Amino acid sequence: MKRRHFLGSALAAGALTPRAKSADLCGCSLFQAFAAPADNPAWEPVSSGVKITGMKVFGVSLTPDSDRPYVFVKLETNKGVVGWGEGTLEGKAGAVIACIEDFREFLIGKDPMQVEHHWQSMYVHSFYRAGPVMGSAISGIDQALWDIRGKVLGMPVYKLLGGPTDPRGVRGYYHAQAATKEQLQRVRESAMKLGVTCFKSGIPGYYEWIETHEKIDAAIRRLQLLREGLGSDIDIGVDFHAKTSPSVASIIVKEVEPLKLLFIEEPCPPENVAAMARVARRSTTPIATGERLVAHYSCRELIEMGVIDILQTDINHVGGITALWKVGQMAALSGVSMAPHACEGPIGGLATVHVDAATSNFLVQEICSGVEPQMKEKVWEEWLGFPAMRMVNGRFPLPEKPGLGFDLDEKALAKYPFGGTKPMARVFHTDGSVAEW
Amino acid sequence: MSIRKNKLAKWMAMQTAAATPKDKHDIAEMRVYPVREPASGRSYTIVRLRSQSGLVGWGEAGRVSAADVEKARSRVVGRPATAYAVTSTDTPLDAAINCAMLDITGKAVSAPVYRVLGGPTRFKARALAALSGATDSELGASMNALAKAGFQAFHVPIPGITWRNQGQAFDKAARARMDGLRSAAPANANFVLRGNGTLMAGDAAAVASSLERFHLLWFDEPCPATNLRTIKKIAEETVTPLGFGRDIATPSLYQDLLREGIVDILRPSIERDSITRIRQIAAMAETYYVAVAPNHDGGPIATAAALQLAASLPNFFIQAVPWPQNDRDRRMRTDLVAEPIETVRDGFLSLPAKPGLGITVNESALEKYKETAA
Repeated sequence: MKRRHFLGSALAAGALTPRAKSADLCGCSLFQAFAAPADNPAWEPVSSGVKITGMKVFGVSLTPDSDRPYVFVKLETNKGVVGWGEGTLEGKAGAVIACIEDFREFLIGKDPMQVEHHWQSMYVHSFYRAGPVMGSAISGIDQALWDIRGKVLGMPVYKLLGGPTDPRGVRGYYHAQAATKEQLQRVRESAMKLGVTCFKSGIPGYYEWIETHEKIDAAIRRLQLLREGLGSDIDIGVDFHAKTSPSVASIIVKEVEPLKLLFIEEPCPPENVAAMARVARRSTTPIATGERLVAHYSCRELIEMGVIDILQTDINHVGGITALWKVGQMAALSGVSMAPHACEGPIGGLATVHVDAATSNFLVQEICSGVEPQMKEKVWEEWLGFPAMRMVNGRFPLPEKPGLGFDLDEKALAKYPFGGTKPMARVFHTDGSVAEW
Repeated sequence: MSIRKNKLAKWMAMQTAAATPKDKHDIAEMRVYPVREPASGRSYTIVRLRSQSGLVGWGEAGRVSAADVEKARSRVVGRPATAYAVTSTDTPLDAAINCAMLDITGKAVSAPVYRVLGGPTRFKARALAALSGATDSELGASMNALAKAGFQAFHVPIPGITWRNQGQAFDKAARARMDGLRSAAPANANFVLRGNGTLMAGDAAAVASSLERFHLLWFDEPCPATNLRTIKKIAEETVTPLGFGRDIATPSLYQDLLREGIVDILRPSIERDSITRIRQIAAMAETYYVAVAPNHDGGPIATAAALQLAASLPNFFIQAVPWPQNDRDRRMRTDLVAEPIETVRDGFLSLPAKPGLGITVNESALEKYKETAA
């Protein structure tokens, strides 16, 4: 073929093939040439008429040196309805804010009601999939889309999701920080008054991948103390926080079997499912994990290998309401319970409660707080006008207003300006080597 | 601080008082209508729920007993319609009730069900029709009629077996059937070969292997989904995609099929498994990059449910639509539901845009086609 002819036919093909944009000169256009255009008029009859017109992203530091500034997203629409979401990622606030900004061009002009479709597009078309930064960015946007969806349709999100399982709300747990039996007994007394039925605590100190008998004994004694102080009628989860190796965790988990804990959380770091399986196989104590996982894809291996009893994916990292709901549904088919992690701000917390209320295999909901409210909860109340994420009779009440169930004036956030990204804690063993916390 | 504590105590008391609120969309009434197609004899049960707020929702089940109806009624009346995902009656009416509750929820918020569920994920849904007939020539005639009606994908029954283990004659018959259909079909036609659980695994593997280069969409139910090791043999010996679901009544079995890598397309039933249950199965299938194509051998209300489901799933592939040969049967379907939800154009169904299921059920037609005891 002569060169002139070749060019001519290539141009003709280009004219016939709908192509929104030519790709950069990387050769990737080979894979995109036949793509259907995103703005196909065939969507018109099934679109809602609502359009996203604006987006604002907020970094919010409760204290100037906070290592976990909240990242909030506000989406605005042509109908005057706005939606809020949270994509807080501890230690990486600036990266998540930038990643959300990367989605701005994609979002403007979209029908916010098609949250499943947009979730797919954000995840799949990002090509490099998952990762906590993108997971948290999608989480924030997804929650804001659901907030808009609920407000436009005039229903709280838990009803759109097919709930409630129980109109009284969803069972929750606080953290028990106490270190002595007397302190624990005081926690128990407060719990009894408030109707709280479940607590979580941790194991003391940091652990090398093989440990001394002193450290192992100390961890076991602490867990025995928890049971003695809190009593047998309160459920206790214990967070190993991946501080232990599978080898060390296995010893502790096996020896605390008689305490009948509600779960052991993150007995080892999350990258290696087979390693966690080693711990799980050696004890009947239920194993929980998932707060660092992104998208339902990341839970597949844990479920199919029968490693876990409880999944704890976090609505601010896993991919928002859409992804947390999917994790819950997958888990339900395999007899795995849901106990979502929540250790960030109030928007993600409330969003999680909506999903919990529509999940038949829901077990218990976390909030990183104690029986006595902390400073952050005072701020939340100041923002939202009600004590968000405080339990009533041991349950988080269901937000009844449309959407996620709150109004937030962005001016209220201005009191807590973004203090910038701060690294999370760095801890070291006695010999100076890096330790997990 | 004490003011704050006071406020908190007040708020807690308020929350406790409102512990069991009545929802205006609580289900007030359930009615069932068994109906039957006059010529094919295909029968199904149409369920009608009404909420306190006066909204009516429709769903469809297969045949049910009077005892099932009573049990379902006692468990669904008084439930909020929005609790569609967490209401179980433990009867074969569950899928119909789930659908009718979603219909009411959609009507309550003036949105199609797919919008309630976060869709649409697509603007049209690919359609599949089953060929009818016993011989190759009857199947060919059926295909021509269905192609004229707009279908481009066809379910083909595998030739009947003579002996427990088949030989070359069977392989030849299966190939002849598929070759004959493809040469008579328009170029854009595609085929699903349907085993209906009649074959032994060895025969199924041989046929699947023999037809690899035919590029079936998939081989449906090559053998019963019972012994996974047996099915695995088929998946290991051939690259022809395999579909399972028609005989799977326990959805957790899908987890096993997916984990073992022996299924390429999941085929839950729209009348048995419900919109919510199929969404649950589909969420899991997504993590294996496996698509869903619900089975459907009921009436037009289930078609409407299937369309709403298709538009809510990211990993939907194709929807089976019953297309009776007899005019009287087809008339019954359009009598029951006036909207052209089963109309296929260029191989695709269009999505309804009206609230809920997007259909109006003609209640007088329910009487007209009422199934009477045989």
